[in-house]
Amino acid sequence: MKAFFENVRRHFGLAAGIGFSLLAIQIIAIALAPYIAPYSPIDADPLSSLQPPSVAHWFGTDVSGMDILSRVIYATRINLLISVSSVIAAFIVGVPVGLLIGYYRNIFSNLIMRVFDFIQSFPVFVLGMALVSVLGQEVWNVAIVLGVLFIPMFARLIRAEVLSLRERPFISAARCSGASDLSIMFRHILPNALTPVIVQVSISIGMAILLTAGLSFIGAGVRMPTPEWGLMVGNGAQQMILGVWWVALFPGLAIVFSVLCFALLGDFAQAVTDPNAETIS
Amino acid sequence: MFGVMFATFFLIRLLPGDPALLLLGNMATPEAIVSLRERLGLNDSIWVQFVRYLDNVAHGDLGTSIFTSNPVLQDLLERAPATLELICWAMLATVIIGVAVAVTAVVRRGGAVDRASRIYGLAAGAIPDFWVALLLIYFLFYLLGVAPAPFGRIDALLPPPNRITGFYIIDSLLTGNWDAFISSAGRLVLPVLTLTIVNAGALMKLTRTVFGDVYRSDFIRHARASGLPESVIVRSALRNSLPPIITLVGFLFGFLLGAAVLVETLFAWGGLGQYAVQAVVNSDYPALQGFVLVAAAFILLVYMTVDILYEFADPRIKV
Repeated sequence: MKAFFENVRRHFGLAAGIGFSLLAIQIIAIALAPYIAPYSPIDADPLSSLQPPSVAHWFGTDVSGMDILSRVIYATRINLLISVSSVIAAFIVGVPVGLLIGYYRNIFSNLIMRVFDFIQSFPVFVLGMALVSVLGQEVWNVAIVLGVLFIPMFARLIRAEVLSLRERPFISAARCSGASDLSIMFRHILPNALTPVIVQVSISIGMAILLTAGLSFIGAGVRMPTPEWGLMVGNGAQQMILGVWWVALFPGLAIVFSVLCFALLGDFAQAVTDPNAETIS
Repeated sequence: MFGVMFATFFLIRLLPGDPALLLLGNMATPEAIVSLRERLGLNDSIWVQFVRYLDNVAHGDLGTSIFTSNPVLQDLLERAPATLELICWAMLATVIIGVAVAVTAVVRRGGAVDRASRIYGLAAGAIPDFWVALLLIYFLFYLLGVAPAPFGRIDALLPPPNRITGFYIIDSLLTGNWDAFISSAGRLVLPVLTLTIVNAGALMKLTRTVFGDVYRSDFIRHARASGLPESVIVRSALRNSLPPIITLVGFLFGFLLGAAVLVETLFAWGGLGQYAVQAVVNSDYPALQGFVLVAAAFILLVYMTVDILYEFADPRIKV
C-alpha cells in the first residue's frame, strides 16, 4: 500500500494536476449548478436573442435568448450522467462476462465472442445513431445504447487478461486447495485482471462524452431544450457561418476540457499501474 | 455479413409503430392498412419475412425510402462517391501528416516537433470533429474569406463534371473541366482538413511508438554503424513499422465513415452520411437500414484489404 502511494506521488505531475483540477471543476458544476448558474438553463427570452458575451451574459445568449453560461454549467450534469452511467453499466456487465468467457472455453463463450465481433464490426457512431433513433431519443436511451456498445471492449480486455492468468501456478494452487470456480474467478483472477480495465474506464468516459455530443449534434440524441453540450454546438452551427461564434464555441470548449480531463486521468492511472508506459509529462 | 443482415433486419422489426401506418399516414382507412399489410407480407411469420428480406438483398433490393420514395440502393449508390471522395482524401492527408510528424518527432527527439506532437496527440483525441469544422468555417470562411462557403461539393452555379468515377476532382481532370476542378478541390479543403485534424492524432501517436521502437532497435543501429545514409535508415525502419500502422488505418476508415456523418451534415455534402441523418430525422427506416448495411459491408471490405496489404508489408505473414 505504501509503495502504491509512493508510486502515485512520483507520477503526479503537471498533466495529472490539470486532469484532477478539471475533474474538480466539473464536480463543482454538477453539485452547485443552481447556485452558480446566473440564469435558468431552459427559460427562453426572445427579447435578448443572440447577444454577444457581455457583463450580463458572460458567454452570450443563443437564438432563443437562453443564457449560454448557465446552459453550459447545467449541461455538465446531463453529459456526465450519460457518459459515466453508460460506462459503469458496461463495466458491470462486461467484466463478469469477460471473466466467464475467458475462464470457461466452450461453444457458448465462442458464441458470445462472435456477437462482440459483430457489434464491433460497425462504426460505433453509425450503430449508435441507428439504435438511439430506434429506441427513441431519450436521455436514458442514449446511455443504454452507449453502454451496450462499450460492453465488448471491457469484456475483451478482461478476457485477454484471464486467458494469460488462468495458466499461472497460483491459480493451479488455488484449485488444488479446493477453491470453487467462482472463488477462483472473483477472488484470484479478477483482482489481477482489473488494471487495464480501470485505465479503460477513464478513456471510455471521454469517448462516451464525444459520442453523446455527436449524436445530439446531428439531432439523433437528446432534444431541446435539455441543456447538452453537443446539442448547443448544433444550435450554434448555422450562426457560425454568419459570424456568431459564441453560441457554438463555449459548449465545444466544455466538451474538449471534459474529454481532456478523462484522457489525462486515464494516462495517470496507466502511469501509476504500469511503470513501462509512455506518458505525456 | 449474414450476421449483419440478421441484425439490421431485427433492429427494424423492433421498431415501435406499424410500417403500413407509417407509409400511408394518419388519414389511412383501416381497410387500406389491412390490405397494405397483406401486400407487404407483414402478416407472415417473422422467419418467412426474414428469408424474403435476405432474398431481396441478394437481388440488390434494399427496399424503398419513405422520404425520397426512390429505391434505397439507388439513393445510396448516387451518394456513395461523394462520401468516398471525402474519406479517401481525408485518409491520404491523415497518413501523410500523421506519419511525417511522427517520423520527425522520433528522428529529432526532444525537438520542437517532438514536443508539439505530444501536446497535439493528447488534444486531438479530445476535440469533437463537428466543433473543429465550425471553428474552421468561422476562421477560414467568415473571418479570412480564404475558404469557399460550406455548401456542397461544388459551386451551385457550376454543373458537376460528367460522371466517370463519381469523384468530382478526378472526373473534372479527365474531362478537362478546370472550373469544376478548382471549385470542387476548394470545397474539399475544409471538410478534409477537419477530418485530418481529428484523425491524424491517433495515427501519429501509434506511429511514434512503433517507429520509435524500430528506430532504436539493433538492426537499425547496425545499419547506422555500417554507414548507411539517414534517409535509407528511416525508410527501412518505416517499412518495418508498417503492419500496425496499416491495421490502424483500416480501423480509422470505419471511424471516418462515422465522422463523415457529422461533417457532411455541416458542409451540406450530399453523401451517405447526410442521407443517414435525414433518414434518422424523418424516421425513414428502410433508408437507415440500407445505410447501416452498406456501412458494415464497407468496413468488411476495408478489413479484407488490410489483411491483403499485410502480406505485402511483411512477407513473413501468410494470409
